[in-house]
Amino acid sequence: MLQEPLKRKTHLSIALALVFFFVIYPLLVDAEASYLVFLFYTAFMYVTLSQGWNIAAGYAGQVSLGQHAFFGIGCYVTAITWRAGTAGYLDPLAMLMSGAGAAVVAIVVGLPLLAKLRGDYFALGTLGLGEILRVAALNGGSFTEGAAGISIPSDVYQSIKPYYFIALLISVLTMLSLWFIAHSRIGLALVAIREDETAASANGIPILRYKILAFTLGAFVTGLCGSLNAYFVFHIDTAGAFNLNWVIMPILMVILGGVGTFVGPVLGVFSLIAAFELIRLLTPQLHPIFSGAFIILVTLFLPDGIMSYLTGHKNRLLHKLSPFKWLALNK
Amino acid sequence: MTTFPSASVFFQVLINGVLLGCMYGIAAIGLSLIFGTMRIIFLAQGAVMILAAYCIYWMATLSPINPFFGFLLILPVFLGLGWIMYKGLFQKVAKAGANPSLLLAFGLMVLLEHLMSLIWSPTTRSVITSTSTSSLTLGSINISVTRLIVAVVALIATGLVFLFLKKTMLGKAVRAASEDMSAAALLGISPTYVSAVTFAIGIALAGVAGVAACITYPFDPFFGFLFSLKALIAVAFGGLGSVGGPLVGGVMLGVLESMSAYTFSAGWADAVAYAAFLLILILRPEGMLGRRSIEKV
Repeated sequence: MLQEPLKRKTHLSIALALVFFFVIYPLLVDAEASYLVFLFYTAFMYVTLSQGWNIAAGYAGQVSLGQHAFFGIGCYVTAITWRAGTAGYLDPLAMLMSGAGAAVVAIVVGLPLLAKLRGDYFALGTLGLGEILRVAALNGGSFTEGAAGISIPSDVYQSIKPYYFIALLISVLTMLSLWFIAHSRIGLALVAIREDETAASANGIPILRYKILAFTLGAFVTGLCGSLNAYFVFHIDTAGAFNLNWVIMPILMVILGGVGTFVGPVLGVFSLIAAFELIRLLTPQLHPIFSGAFIILVTLFLPDGIMSYLTGHKNRLLHKLSPFKWLALNK
Repeated sequence: MTTFPSASVFFQVLINGVLLGCMYGIAAIGLSLIFGTMRIIFLAQGAVMILAAYCIYWMATLSPINPFFGFLLILPVFLGLGWIMYKGLFQKVAKAGANPSLLLAFGLMVLLEHLMSLIWSPTTRSVITSTSTSSLTLGSINISVTRLIVAVVALIATGLVFLFLKKTMLGKAVRAASEDMSAAALLGISPTYVSAVTFAIGIALAGVAGVAACITYPFDPFFGFLFSLKALIAVAFGGLGSVGGPLVGGVMLGVLESMSAYTFSAGWADAVAYAAFLLILILRPEGMLGRRSIEKV
């Protein structure tokens, strides 16, 4: 794969040590008062969202700009089942249903889009999907309660700890599935599709099936995050649930870390959150401006991502992503 | 659902849509040109439009200059701005690939939006012109004079870009580059020069669209993203990379929006537009006017 062949054992022990640290951290400090616990929670969520985008875009080369659609579906499924009384607070079944709802939409919409559209057109189509769902939720009448949104009774909130651990669990499970996929036949097939769809197809890879698989898996974990977010904010409206931030931030983090790499997105998530928080602490008023400037600086000086910097070989992959095949002579 | 009570109401809605669509069209041409040579969706298009809108707002507020004069003023200023943006930011990043360029455009959008919001506050502004309230009456149809002027400017701008692309050597180079950049480079066309020219024209068109938007609509610093999306849909309607296509696409989008706003409700108009956008992407990804190109293996 793209990573340098460091010893697998070392990798595994670093990963275990990190997970162990994250598990005991909120038990050692006063979790409710700790800002860092909240930041970690946010980071776990973004790790999942980033890898959800990365599996389709980074590995299979299908750049989706519609992840906020799946996030929003997750939010709304949870909020509506909660309102109807079929789901309780932090109900695992409701969360799975939210993920499944997003996955079903991914399959239904993905079938025509992935079969017919390549590259940019697929990206534009998914962007359209997100906007359609947003407008539909806005006009959904009593079902989605329009612009006012659905409120979940917030008096059930007791502690941030359950959110923290659920987000950690989801992100670890996402990472594990991604690792197994990347190191299996499926992963090889996805990369083959990204590198050359026609050649992959000629070698007997059912490209549509694999593209749908990657896209749906990404949608599923994104829906899970949406569901957890619904339980966290207690109020779901279209502006929050279908916010473009849910697609833009993960993409930014993955590109910062390294597209199509396993560890890169995690590094991207933590470094971007750290950078944004620092900027926010130093200049509370100006921070959105610096966030914009930060994105510009990263793309100017680190366009290949952190991973390429660490492993020393350029992540040429970014240029191969089908929508953005750039001029061969201009490289 | 409401049906049209008479032919004149139908024509009224149709004309409103065409006039609205012309504005989408100008922004869409810029987007399409930039896409043609750089292969990126320039997300900051809308933010650049709003920047132009603010320029006109302050010009009209602080000086007695007629806002319509802004069209002439914005054109050279934003041509220069586009050139500087390309040379300063995009030229280097374009070498690294089109994906970082897309990200750069996004960063630029965030930066511009928040800068404008910080400097000029997020209050909604509007530019009042001498023709804001006047309208022409043709039979039983009313046409807003401001919107008519906007539509005429859109047509002139499109015509100028069309002439530039068809009649000048540089325009020919731009067309060659958007057809096949490596082949164009083999023939001695400098990719960076052509990209810089195209980018500058794209930004200038965004500026013109911004002037058009600010004299017809109230705006705030974050209003631009909606326009980026609308321009994108217009481009998809007309076909990526052409000149006439996006204008027609913009008009189609405008008509579709005003028709569905009338027959369903204003809230659903956007959904109808996005749904049509998805359908067109799936059924005719080369756009309604585009030529079908055969992918070489």
